[in-house]
Amino acid sequence: MSLLEVSDLHVWFDLPQGQQVHAVRGVNFALDPGERFGLVGESGCGKTTTILALMGLLPPTASASGEVRVDGHNILAGGEDSARGYRWKDIAMVFQGAMNALNPVKKVGWQIAEPMAFHGIAQGAAARRRAGELLEMVGIQAAAAERYPHEFSGGMRQRASIAMALACQPRILLADEPTTALDVMVQAQILDLLTRLSSELGLALVLVTHDLPVVAQTCERAAVMYAGEIVEYGPMEMLFHQPRHPYTRLLFEATPDLYGDSEVVSIGGAPPRLDRPMAGCPFQPRCDVVLDRCAEEHPALRLVGPGHEAACHHTERAGST
Amino acid sequence: MRSADYVIKRGFFALVTIFVAITINFFLFRVLPGNAITDLSRVPHASPALRHALLVEFGLDKPKWQQYLIYLNNLAHGNMGISFANQQPVSHLLIADLKNTIPMVTVGTVAAIIVGVFTGVLSAWRRGSAPDHISTNLAIFFYAFPTQWLGLMLLILFAGILPAGGMSDPFLFTAEPFWQHLADIAKHMILPAATLMLTAYGSYTLVVRSSMLETLGEDYVLTARAKGLPVRRIVWRHAVRNALLPLVTLIALELGFIVGGALLVEVIFSWPGIGLAMYTAIGQRDYPMLQGGFLILTVSVIVLNFLADLLYFRLDPRITT
Amino acid sequence: MTLPLQDPLLATEGLGMPPRRHGFLRGVLRERKAAVIGLAIITFFILLSVIAPYISPYSATAQTCAVYAPPSARHWLGCDDGGIDMLSELMQGGRISLVVGFAATFVAMVIGGGIGILSGYFGGGTDTVLMRVTDYLLVIPDLVFALVIADIWGPSLFHVIIVIGILEWTATARIIRAQVMSLKERVYVKRAKAIGSGHARIISRHILPQVGPLLMANTVLTVAIAIYLETALAFLGLEDPTVTTWGTILEHAFERTAISSGAWWAIVPDGFAIAILIVGCFLLGQAIEDALNPRLKVAHLSVRRWRIRPLAGRGPEAI
Repeated sequence: MSLLEVSDLHVWFDLPQGQQVHAVRGVNFALDPGERFGLVGESGCGKTTTILALMGLLPPTASASGEVRVDGHNILAGGEDSARGYRWKDIAMVFQGAMNALNPVKKVGWQIAEPMAFHGIAQGAAARRRAGELLEMVGIQAAAAERYPHEFSGGMRQRASIAMALACQPRILLADEPTTALDVMVQAQILDLLTRLSSELGLALVLVTHDLPVVAQTCERAAVMYAGEIVEYGPMEMLFHQPRHPYTRLLFEATPDLYGDSEVVSIGGAPPRLDRPMAGCPFQPRCDVVLDRCAEEHPALRLVGPGHEAACHHTERAGST
Repeated sequence: MRSADYVIKRGFFALVTIFVAITINFFLFRVLPGNAITDLSRVPHASPALRHALLVEFGLDKPKWQQYLIYLNNLAHGNMGISFANQQPVSHLLIADLKNTIPMVTVGTVAAIIVGVFTGVLSAWRRGSAPDHISTNLAIFFYAFPTQWLGLMLLILFAGILPAGGMSDPFLFTAEPFWQHLADIAKHMILPAATLMLTAYGSYTLVVRSSMLETLGEDYVLTARAKGLPVRRIVWRHAVRNALLPLVTLIALELGFIVGGALLVEVIFSWPGIGLAMYTAIGQRDYPMLQGGFLILTVSVIVLNFLADLLYFRLDPRITT
Repeated sequence: MTLPLQDPLLATEGLGMPPRRHGFLRGVLRERKAAVIGLAIITFFILLSVIAPYISPYSATAQTCAVYAPPSARHWLGCDDGGIDMLSELMQGGRISLVVGFAATFVAMVIGGGIGILSGYFGGGTDTVLMRVTDYLLVIPDLVFALVIADIWGPSLFHVIIVIGILEWTATARIIRAQVMSLKERVYVKRAKAIGSGHARIISRHILPQVGPLLMANTVLTVAIAIYLETALAFLGLEDPTVTTWGTILEHAFERTAISSGAWWAIVPDGFAIAILIVGCFLLGQAIEDALNPRLKVAHLSVRRWRIRPLAGRGPEAI
């Protein structure tokens, strides 16, 4: 049994006119302690919604189904109330744009210590001391705990967010675009930090990003999401060198290569609307190797290598491994 | 140091504004209509000796700019002339009146703030629900009813139950114990303070509601929810503090409205404060009282604005000079 | 997640063209019920004032019933201390209150809008000086100042209009200035400057139309304040006593012991009339302002919760 198991997760959002957007369509994956897992895709593919759903952080317009098991317990079983019991203690999150994720009128140390006190991990002076230690662990001076978020640089704020997420010693850490809006040098530092923490503390890390180099640098395994579904997942190496889904291949090709002289390829077209039922493969309007059956038959995830699955009709003909 | 800088800067601004107010006061009363009406020495029924003394004291036979300097000098010594109505020094009378006004206005305003914050927060939290609509519309209506009308309505409704005028029972012997005297004043204060509260709270509700809605959409509220904190705690300990900032600004901006409201309330309930004094002064053509009252009220607003500045500075750590 | 609301006014920004404002007010009315209600209320009162002399059941100045006669079938709102029909008084009193309100607002808007545009557009020294002046005037308590002026100059409607106008321009000036300063940075304004358009031309063709809706919202809200101030000044005896306005009705009621006579009808309907009109102005003004600043965020906290639902089928085809 894995530490984190996501089974058939679906999320719908209600629209004002009464229809629904089917934003996450049957996502499955599993993580063990110490594993670093990437969730990749373009904006709007549902990756952020997916990890928010892992903690039950959905808005009132949402409805969800499926299971999110932490150590075997389905934390979504009772909706918001049951999910709340697991937050921060078992599973914590570092948000996109730490600029606003920190409360501007509270000192940083207080923000780190408060969940500790609330969840009974440490109180008062002990909590404050521990907050200082956490800041040191992420590379910030403990004295900075007395400062306010606006006094921190972007990179420091992101580190502080990471320290804050670790306050109650969770075993699963979700990171939503942790390096967006940071400059490249700082990005590398943050990713190093996350990698180090994951190995030292045995944290299972889910890293959500649209930025492929980020995933390539940090994660051992990754899943590529498109239109609310996982269209391919597997070891980073395989995704990079032997992608079996056209979208994955095009994604890697679209990433500019600093040294090479390959052309920059962009993927034409736009993702499909999620408020209508879809027939066939969601990628087929933009696919460069589309077949006739792609418009009618939805491809299921098929094993194409050890721990490597892809949802494309082409995998059938090629066979596995 | 950040604090000292800010205090000095705002303090300086307040002083300059007080000076401008004093000048406007002079301009209004001495320059505009000319001496004919507002001549400080023309105390009715006064002896020629008194009149002459005042003439000399305020330099009323000298050119305007000299009068201005004399006026400033007199003000520095707390001399605002003699009341036309009872030949007492204006400053003594007004200070005594001010001492009556302050408690009543403070109680009313504080009550308005408390009611405004509670109704605003609850409305925002339950946005779109029936209590929200009722509360918001009530706030708008109470704010729209003229202050004097609200006072009259309270009079109609509570005439027999609560004292309808004055600050204390004229028939109460002064030998009565202090607490009884205090209780008597408190009883008389209920209606005027309640009127002030009803007329002022509406705008506070609306501003708190609006800024709470804004705050509830901020990322750090999602972070707080992710920490597993209960909703009540997030609202009152994480969100409200941010939402109060625009309220402080609004209260400062509406101080003029409070002063006007207090004036009307004092007139209706015959509360012996500075507002009633000014109203009486109109009827009695008591210009020195009017001039003094205008100055004291304006300076009060300036001082309160300065205090509000300090409070805002204290509440929002992001403010630098 | 939430589909982003495209502010149609901003959609054309990137092309370097000014956004279209023609349908703006119509759009606001279509989208927001509050705006419609507000406009309806204001229109109702304006119409009422216009036709009041023709539809008043009785005279608003001559005695037609007993002093403080209670409401009856003949006099729906009773009579006041002078035996004058309350309903007629209210109808006609509204006319003056509205005239004062609109006239004072006009004065405030012209001054405030003008100063705001000049201050925001030219910036620098002009801005500093004008804003300092505004700052100093902002702190002076409205009613007290009005009281003093009205007393020195004498009670008259004209004085009241001028006084209110002078008091209210400051808030408008600040708001308009803020918007002009941001408008100044827009692409089409910079382009106009680059091709050498004169200040007057830029202001009249590019700035003024964009400032229009904000000015409109502010105007409506200022009307509410002007009417409020008018009733207060009248109450304190600073208006022409021979004129009947909503404010003087309350003043008469207070001065002439309506309460001890139990004549609530001399007080209650008047207050409601004033309040409803002010609420109408507020609803309309606020709706326009809201439309100019759409709030796109979803609240992260709410009483309602997200739902767990049972699943039919598996995978992407599940419903």
